[in-house]
Amino acid sequence: MFAQIIAVIKMNLLSLPGRIGSSLTTLLAVAIVVTVLLAFMAMGEGFQKTMEGSGSDEVAIMLRGGSQAELNSGLEGDTLNIVSVAPGIAKNENGPIVSGELYVVVDGTKRSSQTEANLPLRGIGTAGFALRENIKLVEGRMFEPGKTEIIVGTSILSQFDGFELGKTLRFGTTEWTVVGVFDAGGSVFGSELLTDVRAVQTQFNRGNSYQSIRVKLEDEKALDKLKDYIANEPRLNLDVNTEKAYYSEQSKDMAILINMGWGLAIFMALGALAGALNTMYTSVESKAVEIATLRAIGYKTTAAFIGTLVESLVIAVLGGILGTLIAFLLFDGISTSTMGGSFTQVVFDFNVSANAFKNGIILAFFIGLVGGFFPALRAARLPVVLAFRS
Amino acid sequence: MNLLTLIRKNLTRNKLRLTLNCFAIFIAFMLFGSLGAIKNAFESGVEVAAADRLMVVNKINFTQSLPLAYVNKIRSIEGVKHASWANWFGGYYQEPRNQLMTFAVDPESYFLVYDDLTIPEQELSNWLKDRQGILIGERIATARGWKVGDRIPVSSNIFSQENGSSTWEFNISGIFRPKNPQTDTSYTLIHYKYFMETQIWGGDWIGWVPLNTEDPALNEQVIKAIDSMFANSAAETETATEAQFSKAFIEQVGDIGFIIMSVVLSAFFTILLIVGNSMWQSIRERTNEIAVLKTIGFTAHKVFSMILAESFLLAFTGGLLGLLAAWALVIAIAPLTQSFLPALVMGKSVFFAGVVYILVLGFITGILPAWQAMKLNTIDALNRR
Repeated sequence: MFAQIIAVIKMNLLSLPGRIGSSLTTLLAVAIVVTVLLAFMAMGEGFQKTMEGSGSDEVAIMLRGGSQAELNSGLEGDTLNIVSVAPGIAKNENGPIVSGELYVVVDGTKRSSQTEANLPLRGIGTAGFALRENIKLVEGRMFEPGKTEIIVGTSILSQFDGFELGKTLRFGTTEWTVVGVFDAGGSVFGSELLTDVRAVQTQFNRGNSYQSIRVKLEDEKALDKLKDYIANEPRLNLDVNTEKAYYSEQSKDMAILINMGWGLAIFMALGALAGALNTMYTSVESKAVEIATLRAIGYKTTAAFIGTLVESLVIAVLGGILGTLIAFLLFDGISTSTMGGSFTQVVFDFNVSANAFKNGIILAFFIGLVGGFFPALRAARLPVVLAFRS
Repeated sequence: MNLLTLIRKNLTRNKLRLTLNCFAIFIAFMLFGSLGAIKNAFESGVEVAAADRLMVVNKINFTQSLPLAYVNKIRSIEGVKHASWANWFGGYYQEPRNQLMTFAVDPESYFLVYDDLTIPEQELSNWLKDRQGILIGERIATARGWKVGDRIPVSSNIFSQENGSSTWEFNISGIFRPKNPQTDTSYTLIHYKYFMETQIWGGDWIGWVPLNTEDPALNEQVIKAIDSMFANSAAETETATEAQFSKAFIEQVGDIGFIIMSVVLSAFFTILLIVGNSMWQSIRERTNEIAVLKTIGFTAHKVFSMILAESFLLAFTGGLLGLLAAWALVIAIAPLTQSFLPALVMGKSVFFAGVVYILVLGFITGILPAWQAMKLNTIDALNRR
């Protein structure tokens, strides 16, 4: 029995080159479907990877109650003082690690489209860097407190014009100088311009106000202590979260991209399925005499069935592998940017993950399975008498 | 038996193959129709932008504000017909998830600038009289079932009132409608003065200045005049046409048009492969018949048109059904996408583009087999058997 199956599979596969045109179209069709799926998955997963790599579990971020995003939030200067003495905040030689922060949205020119896009010019407190351990200066020097100097993330340099080291930027009547470039390990912070919070407050008439307060937590229980303190302090109206949770929340919207990719790929797969069925029915027809002959000399129907099914699976899975390769070569690592939760651009890389590969091959396998099943049934039911005709 | 019957018989000789091909074409055109509608909905802001309308925003970024005093200075510039102003309110209804796009505007001048919106005279004058009045767009009225006279709470995730609350009560004074159905009306309008007086941050600051020019030909001149008037001031301006402004905003999300076109193209290419291959096969199987037809007096030209007609018929059957399905699908999903894609409709332009693509598909899949059949050497073909 096993030998029979092997024999039929061998016959089918060896005869494939004879139907090369038809088999290739199905293979290509499956490859394109898989490429489309992987393109969307790479986009969605790439964005999620950036967002999830951004927040820290050991940092808490506080916004005005109900504001949801930093841009909507506004905090009085006093709030920072009250929060600074809260329990659960880690300390270093300069005291509690607390940073009052404020960003304004400024224009940058997107390289890909040459249109203007929103970028955050973020002012951070002196403890700002102790709260961002994944940031490393790679060129130039740090900005000096109080001066209109900025350092830019490498992601911004890759996607936007005009932020190179030494360049001068004009926002309103003030000129700002780029004095350094930092790498943020692929996180969303790489899509920011950083400066001293006092400079932003002064130059943009924000008085002594902040949008968010970031603090370093001393241990796992610190977040609850902090929340209790804030809930019981009538002068405070703040929403508290870990930074990690804050950024994961923002990556949720991008799940829609992955779902959209699946939706489109499944529709296209139905089209490709029509091609696969067509190819396999033709294949069975063209080998009808051979299959009937094998049956006449005692081969089982199962052998004819499995032989056809395997032929279809081989074509489809080869198409799937080709599709994943195309997707990997075309998309993996491509850098692009989109509007993120802070109403500013987030630069991220397309990421064709192992998970996407697996999904691509599974989709191809299913096209091959369904596309082969019905023609295989026909092959199995071919009347033996066909062998003796013509 | 006339030619048409022959074409039909040829097309339906292998019912299974016909069904599969039709289905593949159907899928391709359903994707085309629905994605085309989505693409248009994203770009509708650019498409329906009034040619004579300009937007003045802060040069740093459009989220930065401008002094209110700029409006009168802009009005005095030659070529400016009407100018108004607006502020972003950041509104939502009951839950922050239910975003309610709300602008605090100058009621006297807003509809002079947005003259592509209509509102009944009576409703407009009621709104002018009621400081707590709110005007809602037709789409919002339909989506939420709100009527003139209803009282609704609108909250802001940015501003709060002096009493600490961030929720304002408004009376619906009227509903504005678009002259062009593609124009977005999924937003609401409130009085700038009322908003400024009740919220705590105050100040005579505005978000942006929309204006229209006497003539679109004056746009360039007006843009230069405005931006140079405020050059080197604390709040420099950047003026652009409404279309440019909308386009730049869409580009911030990403090149959606390009992504959608890539998907549509790959779907078409897939279907082209499948259907083209299948047409090729079906003609090859018919070599003998074609030779016989030629022998009994069918001209090569007639055979050629017959096969081409067959592939056109196939493309039209699957393609029109697909476009029809897309139209139904768009109607079905439009209520679900209301919040982020308000202008989702499958317009005529998508349909006609679809028909053009059907013609292209029919031609490409039919031309080679038809050519081969035309060139077929009758003697050789009959000898082959």
